[in-house]
Amino acid sequence: MAENDVVARMNMVFREVFDNPEIEIFDEMTSSDVVGWDSFSHINLITSLEIEFDIEFTQQEAFGFKTVGELKLAISKKITG
Amino acid sequence: MTDLSTSNNNVGYLCTDWQVERGLGAKTALKLIDKDEILSEFSFAQLTELSNQAANLLASLGFQKDDRIMLFLSKTIEMYAFFLGALKLGLVSSILFNSIGEDSIIERIKDTETKAIISTSRMNFRLVKVLQKLDPSFKVLLVDESQSDGRFLGIRDQFAQASTSFVTPATDPEQYSHFHFTSGSTGKPKAVQHCHAAIIDHLCSFEEVMQAKPDELFWCTADPGWVTGTTYGIIAPWASGLTQIQLDANYDPTLWMRIIEHHKVNIFYTAPTVFRMMAQQPEAFYQQYDLSSLKRVYTVGEPLDPNLVLWGRRMFHCEIYDTWFQTETGSIMVANRPGLEVKPGSMGKPLPYLEAAILESQDNFLPDNTQGLLCIRKPWKSMFREYVGNPVVYKNKFLGDFYSSGDIAYRDEDGYYWYIGRSDDVINTAGHLVSPFEIESAVMEVPHVLDCAVAGLPDDLLYEKVVAFVVHDQQAQSLRKLDMDIKLYVSKKIASLASPKEIVFTDRIPKTKSGKVMRRVLKKQYLGQDVGDLSTMEE
Repeated sequence: MAENDVVARMNMVFREVFDNPEIEIFDEMTSSDVVGWDSFSHINLITSLEIEFDIEFTQQEAFGFKTVGELKLAISKKITG
Repeated sequence: MTDLSTSNNNVGYLCTDWQVERGLGAKTALKLIDKDEILSEFSFAQLTELSNQAANLLASLGFQKDDRIMLFLSKTIEMYAFFLGALKLGLVSSILFNSIGEDSIIERIKDTETKAIISTSRMNFRLVKVLQKLDPSFKVLLVDESQSDGRFLGIRDQFAQASTSFVTPATDPEQYSHFHFTSGSTGKPKAVQHCHAAIIDHLCSFEEVMQAKPDELFWCTADPGWVTGTTYGIIAPWASGLTQIQLDANYDPTLWMRIIEHHKVNIFYTAPTVFRMMAQQPEAFYQQYDLSSLKRVYTVGEPLDPNLVLWGRRMFHCEIYDTWFQTETGSIMVANRPGLEVKPGSMGKPLPYLEAAILESQDNFLPDNTQGLLCIRKPWKSMFREYVGNPVVYKNKFLGDFYSSGDIAYRDEDGYYWYIGRSDDVINTAGHLVSPFEIESAVMEVPHVLDCAVAGLPDDLLYEKVVAFVVHDQQAQSLRKLDMDIKLYVSKKIASLASPKEIVFTDRIPKTKSGKVMRRVLKKQYLGQDVGDLSTMEE
């Protein structure tokens, strides 16, 4: 899957989870950049991404991401096996 | 004890002008770190001027004494300036936490007849939808915009240009100051109303429990949308003339330890859930930092189990004090504190100017080591004055001369109090009380849900987690998707913290013959325990 496709699908999930149609994700984006991205909604974000990409994160992975870029990299690795 | 011999009881005045009058104008009031770790410092003189500008601007926009406003801002200087400025002008304000859902905002505005929200354009995506369901006279004031667009009024330039002089009118101690929202065992969250007199107990409790010296740096990590974040993250330290540090970013253990080390934080006040999150880091993590500045660490919101007290002592090399209070009490009521031997796991002892008791019912006091309702004799200065628009519910919170907290506790033979749990179905998740009924109402609106019940179950991190037991129809295609749909819907409608951490799909919800959900049965089934007497269950 091309990186652009991953980003587009991640962006869609971010908009859905944070109920904000204006979100445009970028690699350096952190939880502090997104209104409502707290530890509670983080769990929903990870689960939504798992459903969208049909992948699974370990608990350690799920809470280890600090930026959207790290999250994107992990997703890309998982979907390419 | 801070000398409160001043002619004005106004909380905004006491946090700012009064400190300048006491000779602290040049002292740093706030060290504010933004999400990019950029530090800004504001002296008490600057805080006075900024809050005066906010008061003048609000007055020029037509706001008058007793008008209600809400602040939908993160920890920015504008949030502090407008909170204090509104107090000076006699407005009654409430700070909303950032992850609140749009329906919750609308209900809160309508229930309290709030006239305006002060926010930033960052929140517009949510406020646009909120405005659609409100009276056309409702205003949104944007502190980062200079142009107005429809019902969004850009106030950036007006704020900057407003006069820095403002004379705070003499304020009746019983005049309303600010309000918070809390979940009860029934119905919607209620607005808990406080008044300016509360500052007496804010100061007394701060001095009795925190025992801060004038040159110490204080950090309360609570969001000001919660009572702790307002009482101890704004009012008490500033009314005491103390410097406090605040961070406008989410929990990040590396950043937090760096801040304590670099800025030499002396007093740290946080939540047991944060402590549990911190404890997930290996001990070696904390050894990287010089945390020797820490003199006292405090927690509030949920029980702090003994292991965490011991862990905290090892990591921070100082005593860990758990404290107890509620939105309704307005300030700390029972606490571990310097001068008292800490019994790890206990709530500590009532503050000396209060009378606590364990009651079974009105006038029925229970002896030591007997579980009952934790109650506080009324009145005290920071006691809530009403649930806005709910006089009956307010009256029901009292057993004669005692406020009943709804918490079950016991007092040991040494006078220490020990928390047991709630007497009702309210869920304490990460220190926040949420109503199962409010969540159930939201879950029932999700397509394919036929029935549901919500309960708080034990959780290693959150103390209690929200678990939804759901009966679905035959048309639900994917339970994984339905699980996510429910979680996201609750998050959007109420708040992310109310979103069920776990969904259990089941065939039926156990109910009494009168149709009441048997949460006790659900909890015991979930925990694999004996469900006990089921004679009242419907067939």
